[in-house]
Amino acid sequence: MSRDWWALTWLVTRREIRDRGRAKSFWVATVLLMLAVAAGAVIPALVQGSGKSTATVGIVGNTPALTQVALETGKVTSTTVTVVSLPDIAAARAQLRSGAVGAVLVGNSEVLVRQQSAFGSSGLSQTLSQVAGLQKLFAQLPPAAVQSAVSHGVALPVRSVVSAGRSAAARITGLVVAILMYVIILTYGIRITIGVGEEKASRVVEVLLTTLRPVQLLAGKVIGMGLLALGQIAALVATYLILGQVAGTSAVRGASVSVVLVGALWLLLGYAFYCTAFAAAGALITRQSDAYNAALPLQIPLIIAYVLTYTVIYSTSVNTLFHVLAFIPFTAPVAMPVLVAVGAASAWQVAVAAVISVLSTVGMARVAGTIYGRAILRTGSRLKVRQVLASSSA
Amino acid sequence: MDGRDGTLELDDLRRKFGDVVALDGLSFTVPPGEVFGFLGPNGAGKTTAMRAIVGVTSLDSGAVRWRGRPVDADARRRIGYMPEERGLYAGMKVGEQLEYLARLHGLTAARAQAAAAQWVSRLGLAGKDQMKVESLSLGNQQRVQLAAALAHEPELLVLDEPFAGLDPVGVDAMSAVLAERAAAGVTMLFSSHQLDLVEHLCTSVAIIHKGALVARGTVDELSRGGDQRVAVRVSGDEQARWTGGLGEHAKVVRVTAGTATIAVARPEDAQAVLDVARRAGPVEQFGFERRRLSEVFRDVVGANIEDLESENVSRAAVPAPEAAR
Repeated sequence: MSRDWWALTWLVTRREIRDRGRAKSFWVATVLLMLAVAAGAVIPALVQGSGKSTATVGIVGNTPALTQVALETGKVTSTTVTVVSLPDIAAARAQLRSGAVGAVLVGNSEVLVRQQSAFGSSGLSQTLSQVAGLQKLFAQLPPAAVQSAVSHGVALPVRSVVSAGRSAAARITGLVVAILMYVIILTYGIRITIGVGEEKASRVVEVLLTTLRPVQLLAGKVIGMGLLALGQIAALVATYLILGQVAGTSAVRGASVSVVLVGALWLLLGYAFYCTAFAAAGALITRQSDAYNAALPLQIPLIIAYVLTYTVIYSTSVNTLFHVLAFIPFTAPVAMPVLVAVGAASAWQVAVAAVISVLSTVGMARVAGTIYGRAILRTGSRLKVRQVLASSSA
Repeated sequence: MDGRDGTLELDDLRRKFGDVVALDGLSFTVPPGEVFGFLGPNGAGKTTAMRAIVGVTSLDSGAVRWRGRPVDADARRRIGYMPEERGLYAGMKVGEQLEYLARLHGLTAARAQAAAAQWVSRLGLAGKDQMKVESLSLGNQQRVQLAAALAHEPELLVLDEPFAGLDPVGVDAMSAVLAERAAAGVTMLFSSHQLDLVEHLCTSVAIIHKGALVARGTVDELSRGGDQRVAVRVSGDEQARWTGGLGEHAKVVRVTAGTATIAVARPEDAQAVLDVARRAGPVEQFGFERRRLSEVFRDVVGANIEDLESENVSRAAVPAPEAAR
């Protein structure tokens, strides 16, 4: 493809960007999405209550030394610690479940918390385990124990009473990503369908195609919309990371960053996969009012993946169906980031699904390009995909 | 003509849409510098032929040549095309739209801007370049469409039904632009199904029916060809009963408000007609009449163009074209 080819295609791209960039609806949607993302960044911070500066620590088998450990921990973590003596482990579990105590120090042996965060023990409980560990070390102090403690670390093991899993914060991040994916792919996809439909229905395409190849018109439109989407995604991710930092959302640090980055990757992959298909849908219609109907079949897989997301986000296990969906290009853009968010996908699985998606995108672009090229100038009644593919292009 | 001077050649164009034959071996040439009419009833294949010229529909066989060469991507940039179903971005501003289309035809940003501004003022759209196309009257939208076809200074103009939907002022403006472009040496082909309404504008015409050529020539040649016609009116004889006395060399074509149009095979037969008329009463009017293009059509095809048009309404109008590439 010559420089000339790209110069013409770029003219189409630029027109798309200007056209959309001037639409009020585009900016309204951007602001609404930013607000949604801002909520996604700030709400986990409220949920995890990181700003709280008081804590109640329960102690089973309390001794003055252990009380001292709890109070020391409070000093180290700038938390006002209230110590409560508990009769036994059963009482400790009950108090942890009800939330009456934040952590329980069980003698010299372990630290109990309600649910361990995805990032390991955090803040108070971690410090508690370390200070208690030190105390234990110095209480016993046989040289062999010192050596063992130095080599294995002095912290006591931290155990949770609720089954382990990704933190609520990471899950909420995953849900936000799923919602964004759904909204952005559908918004831009349907915009493309409408745009192609407008050009076809208004017959301006007949003028355009005297100097442009159909594939240039298709590429220009898809790239233009893609650049807008990319800008929007960048703004959203930046909003999330910056607001998350400011609000002190632990979700934004550590594991959730991987959820956000995987989400951004799949937004790109998902857009690339779907955009040409939405354009082909636009080429099939003859009246603009048909745009939503023509785009409907393309929305269904996304809707299914999105709805099923709720069964995964709030559950401790991931069903096989959802695992499979994460590898199918039609549903992967929503399903894979969610799997990552709940900690059910490894890096190689993400990579394999991404490769499948890229390869499918090439195939989809070919089929959609063919449909677009053959259908864009055909007037009359609304066309069916099969009918278009069966017709000649000679 | 060797075809290198800007002549457009249609060579045995054939195209079927399913069972419908849109083009059935259509051939003719269009020389540069003429207002050339491409005429025929609706459904005759004009739009398909024009789409084939500009490359938005494919041909089963045949070739379109311009300047002796097939119409390729470079040539298409030099074409100004006005599709039958008008096509503009409704929500785009007039000036921007014209610039965009001119740039797609290879003009630089600066030249496109200048050309857009020039045609906006030239076609009476001054002050409207910042308006959206959809907010203009239909007549003004037509002008924008014409400006879009002209802004890149094309050397070949292909205009599909440019007069359709124009008010009389618009028709005059359009006629003036076509004449001016032809005088500038542009090769031009414009279509119309209203033969008699456009014949006075055309230098030459090609008339087609069912995808094939039925007549081609200058309007003068065609209207003088065939039988000669005289229009005669005898005072006080509203039904032109006097024509009952005519011999077999004179045939009454029609009677309109007392004036009889009579076809004669030879010029001397016209004198015989005049003699009969004078015997019947005072002759108020006597003159040779040109054949109208609709009559040329009827003489060749054997049917009235109006009748064919009404037949066509029940059929699918223009067959759906398909992308060429």
